[in-house]
Amino acid sequence: MARLELSNVSKSYGAFDAITDVSLAIEDGEFAVFVGPSGCGKSTLLRLIAGLDPISDGAIRIGPDDVTRRPAGTRSVAMVFQSYALYPHMSVYDNIAFPLQMERRSKGDIRQQVEKAAGTVQLSTRLKDKPSKLSGGQRQRVAIARAIVRKPKIFLMDEPLSNLDAALRIEMRTELTQLHKELGATMVYVTHDQLEAMTMADRIVVLNGGRVEQVGKPMDLYHKPVNRFVAGFIGSPPMNMLRSKVKAIESEYYSFEAAGIGTIVIDGLAKRLKVGEEVVLGIRPEFLAPHPAGSEPLVKIGVVPRSVERLGAQTIIHSAIEGQNFTCVFAGDQAVEPGRDLNVYCDAANIHVFDAAGTTVGRN
Amino acid sequence: MALQNSTSRPIKTVSFHQTWSAYAFLAPALVILFLSLLLPAVATLLMSFTDVSFLKPTNFIGFDNYIKLFNDTRFQQAVGNTIHYTVGVTFPTMVLGLLAAVALNQNVPGRIAFRTIFYLPVLTSLIAAAVVWAYVYEPYAGPLNGVLTRVGLPPQPWLQNPSLAMNSLIIMAIWRDFGTAMIIYLAGLQDIPNDLYEAARLDGAKGKDIFLRITVPMLSSVTFYLLIILIVQTFQVFGAIYVMTQGGPLGSTETVVYQMYQTAFGYTEFGYSAAMSTILFLTILVFSIIGTRIMRRKDA
Ligand SMILES: Nc1ncnc2c1ncn2[C@@H]1O[C@H](COP(=O)(O)OP(=O)(O)OP(=O)(O)O)[C@@H](O)[C@H]1O
Ligand SMILES: [Mg+2]
Repeated sequence: MARLELSNVSKSYGAFDAITDVSLAIEDGEFAVFVGPSGCGKSTLLRLIAGLDPISDGAIRIGPDDVTRRPAGTRSVAMVFQSYALYPHMSVYDNIAFPLQMERRSKGDIRQQVEKAAGTVQLSTRLKDKPSKLSGGQRQRVAIARAIVRKPKIFLMDEPLSNLDAALRIEMRTELTQLHKELGATMVYVTHDQLEAMTMADRIVVLNGGRVEQVGKPMDLYHKPVNRFVAGFIGSPPMNMLRSKVKAIESEYYSFEAAGIGTIVIDGLAKRLKVGEEVVLGIRPEFLAPHPAGSEPLVKIGVVPRSVERLGAQTIIHSAIEGQNFTCVFAGDQAVEPGRDLNVYCDAANIHVFDAAGTTVGRN
Repeated sequence: MALQNSTSRPIKTVSFHQTWSAYAFLAPALVILFLSLLLPAVATLLMSFTDVSFLKPTNFIGFDNYIKLFNDTRFQQAVGNTIHYTVGVTFPTMVLGLLAAVALNQNVPGRIAFRTIFYLPVLTSLIAAAVVWAYVYEPYAGPLNGVLTRVGLPPQPWLQNPSLAMNSLIIMAIWRDFGTAMIIYLAGLQDIPNDLYEAARLDGAKGKDIFLRITVPMLSSVTFYLLIILIVQTFQVFGAIYVMTQGGPLGSTETVVYQMYQTAFGYTEFGYSAAMSTILFLTILVFSIIGTRIMRRKDA
């Protein structure tokens, strides 16, 4: 187990910068999740940590050691691939034993370690089978057992659940979290599924275009996104974004003219905005309610529901404001009819304000 | 791969009309197949039970040709020579082909040039190649002995010495065939997912371990395929022997097919030659069946 530290890591393929100046530290025993849209460089970053690709610039430290120039396989890092990358010609036993055989351990020792790892992932009865005879979830477990058996300092996992069906994915999610607790290992987990990130991570690293947008605990990212990208990426359904302009400023009260809505008054902004400045107001769908509730100033928004999903525990209303999707999630079952005008309410304290550059305007 | 096709599919009910038009489309191919393969094969089989020859009237003689064949020491020598040739060509060809493929699959400079050079012998006409090699092996003026004498070694009668001639033919065949093995192995190497190599590297495997534990086993179906086609091909060697040694010296390069040719067209014993041909055919059939069986089992 060890701490992982990246300092100013960059990677380019020819003229293309896949990773630009990434610095972050993942603490000993932490479950860190890299999340971001497709092509943002998650896999690339993982491969740099593993040593599968050389880095163009910067340094990587694992524990006290600078491993930047060390080849893969000598960094004490294990990786679970999205494709599992099981050796198809070897039995489950040999797949799990392979890393130990490469260390030239004794037969008895290997057998003991493999059986223990197989027990941990509940595969003790399938050791003689070839991977092709296993289900997706079982193959996944073999890949995990092959990683565990090496007792690595860091576990890397690249979208390990993406090939599984929805039910199995949720089950494996819990199992992986459990496994992390049991092993107390440092894990770096890649996903493009923000829900997976939210449920599993101690800390989330949001990547976009090869750069780190924000690092933080799931609830920090949810409540205090540093910019519009993170705000839009974390949370499901995504945050509603409203194009607006600063209309007037009266002491600490800011009035915004939101296209298609009207005036919205927000107080307690930390940064001085100028009258006439373009901003984006962000409202999470689940912070909208069908009745006025919460503290003043309250914001009232008129919408025309296009479709309504009544799920029992929630009611999801889809509408559009000025051509932009506008979604509301109400708690409980609400009898909302599509096509009929509806007023929804939101506590102004729950509205996020982003300046023209997309940076969050903080609160006092 | 060519050998691993039709697995058993559920039988569908097809309308008479569809079946009929399917056969109509197949008909030209079937006719050609019948005339060029099936008809001669059946004729050969029938002939092998007769003593057909130019010299005397034809009689049906049952299994006499086969009984004679099993006691024929010349035929036994030809079988021995054929096995010598097959083993001598097949294994070195595969090993060299594999090594060349692995080397040229890497990002080494000039790999396209090397691939082309190694594959060129495959494209040369067999007869032309045999003529050139006959010159290379020529005992007095040949370049090979020229090189030997220059480095102070005694010149060798490559094709004239009964204990050297077969090996000389084998060397030429390896030169000609290993390009094929290389190309087939290269295709096989492309099919191995890169993930596996990366996983193996992370698992601490080095070059030799990766080669022996990942590359070689992942190529096993390609290897079986090559083994079978090389065995079947070398069993039927004829052209090089016809051009370079005519089966000599002292019958040391007389293979089954060359003896078949001699028996039929040299001694006009067509029936006896047909029996040899049938035996060879059955042997090749057995190897092909074993080959397809193994491949199919590996796929399952
Ligand atoms: N070997 C390579 N050569 C050139 N470009 C590459 C190479 N590997 C990755 N890239 C580029 O780097 C960028 C990041 O790729 P990466 O695979 O890390 O994305 P990702 O975040 O893992 O995406 P996904 O969620 O789709 O897996 C992509 O634009 C990709 O095209
Ligand atoms: Mg990826």
